[in-house]
Amino acid sequence: MKILLIEDEVALRDSIIAYFTEEGSICETADDYATALTKINIYNYDCIVLDLTLPDGDGMEILRNLKRLHKNDGVLIISARHSLDDKLSGLNLGADDYLVKPFHLSELKARVSAIVRRKSFDGNNLILFHEINIDTLAMKTMVGQNSVNLTKKEYDLLVYFIANQSKVITKGALAEHLWGDEIDLSDHFDFIYTHIKNLRKKLVEAGCNDYIKSMYGVGYKFSS
Amino acid sequence: MKLAQKYNRVNLITSLIILVLSGGIYYFAIHYILTNKLDNDLKIEEEEIVASVHEYHKLPLPSDFKDQKVTYLKLKEGESAERSFSNTTYNNPGEKETEPGRSLVTTVKVGTQDYLVTITKSSLEAEDLIRLIFLITLGVIIVLLISLIAVNRFILNSLWRPFYEMLKQLKAFNLADQNEFSVQHTQIDEFRELNQSVISMSTRVRQDYKELKSFTDNASHEMMTPLAVINSKLDTLIQTEALSDRQGELIEDVYLAVNKLSRLNQSLLLLAKIENNLIKDEEDIMLDVLVAQKLRQFNELFIANGITLEKNLEPQRLYMSKYLADIMLNNLINNAIRHNKQNGQITVHLAAGKFSVANTGVDKALDSHRAFERFYKDSSSEGTGLGLAITSQICNLYNYKLSYSHEADRHVFTIKFQMPV
Repeated sequence: MKILLIEDEVALRDSIIAYFTEEGSICETADDYATALTKINIYNYDCIVLDLTLPDGDGMEILRNLKRLHKNDGVLIISARHSLDDKLSGLNLGADDYLVKPFHLSELKARVSAIVRRKSFDGNNLILFHEINIDTLAMKTMVGQNSVNLTKKEYDLLVYFIANQSKVITKGALAEHLWGDEIDLSDHFDFIYTHIKNLRKKLVEAGCNDYIKSMYGVGYKFSS
Repeated sequence: MKLAQKYNRVNLITSLIILVLSGGIYYFAIHYILTNKLDNDLKIEEEEIVASVHEYHKLPLPSDFKDQKVTYLKLKEGESAERSFSNTTYNNPGEKETEPGRSLVTTVKVGTQDYLVTITKSSLEAEDLIRLIFLITLGVIIVLLISLIAVNRFILNSLWRPFYEMLKQLKAFNLADQNEFSVQHTQIDEFRELNQSVISMSTRVRQDYKELKSFTDNASHEMMTPLAVINSKLDTLIQTEALSDRQGELIEDVYLAVNKLSRLNQSLLLLAKIENNLIKDEEDIMLDVLVAQKLRQFNELFIANGITLEKNLEPQRLYMSKYLADIMLNNLINNAIRHNKQNGQITVHLAAGKFSVANTGVDKALDSHRAFERFYKDSSSEGTGLGLAITSQICNLYNYKLSYSHEADRHVFTIKFQMPV
């Protein structure tokens, strides 16, 4: 997939690029408003990751420009402003999602993947990973020819893992993804272990390889 | 006491004292003048008698004129009388009644015989005059007092109207809404100056507030960005190969600290926003539905901690921000779980305008005064210490009463909602 990252903070930009490009996606960057505007005028992207506060302009203006150009690029806003107004006006202007800083790169990746999946018009609502086959519209999971009956949390977990395949994902990121940041799970991270154990068991029982690897102290990794 | 009332009181008391005093002085002065005039009349009568005796060598007939009576009395040998004026009574033969009178007692010599002459004049007319004057004075005092009260009331009220108008607007002053002061035109210099000062003050305060708000906003942005960088660098770091277990543990601790720091920052920002009444998306919400939904969300945590939940929810409609209602419930339930013991209990009640969350936990009661203070927490607690402060602020915002009690080994947090009358 082709992504445009509009972010003025160099250190953050570098981390995001590193995380995304390893996957084989093309990740372009713009570090200010003017560059961003030029790029969205010329190219089409699967998803634009947009920081609202830019040194030379308002990120909201980029959204307005996209609308004016009748572009159908997916937009994910990343902002330090945890404000309801910003979130609502961003979504009203056509953004697809809103992520508040600080965030986990794995969360960003999962959300971008979801946006790209929703935006693609070729009926691409399938997630494929070796023998695992997920229909995101019907929320149905198959391993080979066997259907796997997953709970909502296990399903979310699997989609999240596949979006971040071959990456180490922290327990904190998983907990936040599954329960949102409303529930303060900082003292209960280990409690997601139950869900991972169940997911692994169900997949293996359906004849799937065990792709979930536990990384001691840090988290989990989903890879072949 | 109102200024007008105080002023009125002083003004009236002073006027009353002065008027009563002047009334008294007036009364005595007129009384003196009239008595003097009567005495003069009596003296003229005496002179006439003396003149008559001098001319005719006999006493004039003891005649009764209108309002005047003269009597003679032979003095015995050696007897004498002082010439003197005195207040007596006068018998009015015409009207057959006793009137106040003034008499002069003097002696007249006819030949060798001394006579005691008593001239009595009715002073009724003078007394009437004095009474009339007294009544007129009293009437004037009453009219004056009434008109003073009326003038004070109406004039002062209308004079002070710009002041009260300004006071009303000051009371309703809210930094968050952008209403300007509307100023009543007034001729009074002091009020005009007050209005100008208030307007320039409010402009200045608004300006400062705006700067503070943008400062808070910027501070949040500036702090969140480095936090986001740390987080992303950690995410990148753990992707590197060959991370030892020890390193993994260290990184997890850093993650936890970063997570806590960003929560803390967000909580402080939220507190500032609530205090400044910046969250204004009130809507009708059904609290019982929201609570039930929250409890479902937390269900896994209850199970993981072996907590048994007891709930009793009756319908309760509230008009508040759903965002804040969410935060309020999250904080209370999170606390009830965090400070619970293994296999403990949580009881959630919502009935009759009261919402309470009770949980088992340590035996010691919290300091109920300090529990809602910022950063009041157990040193072993993983929380930010702001959850209850935020909940308390939210309750303040909507005039709900949040209280803590320790009953039967349970920590109970109760919110009483203002029931519409």
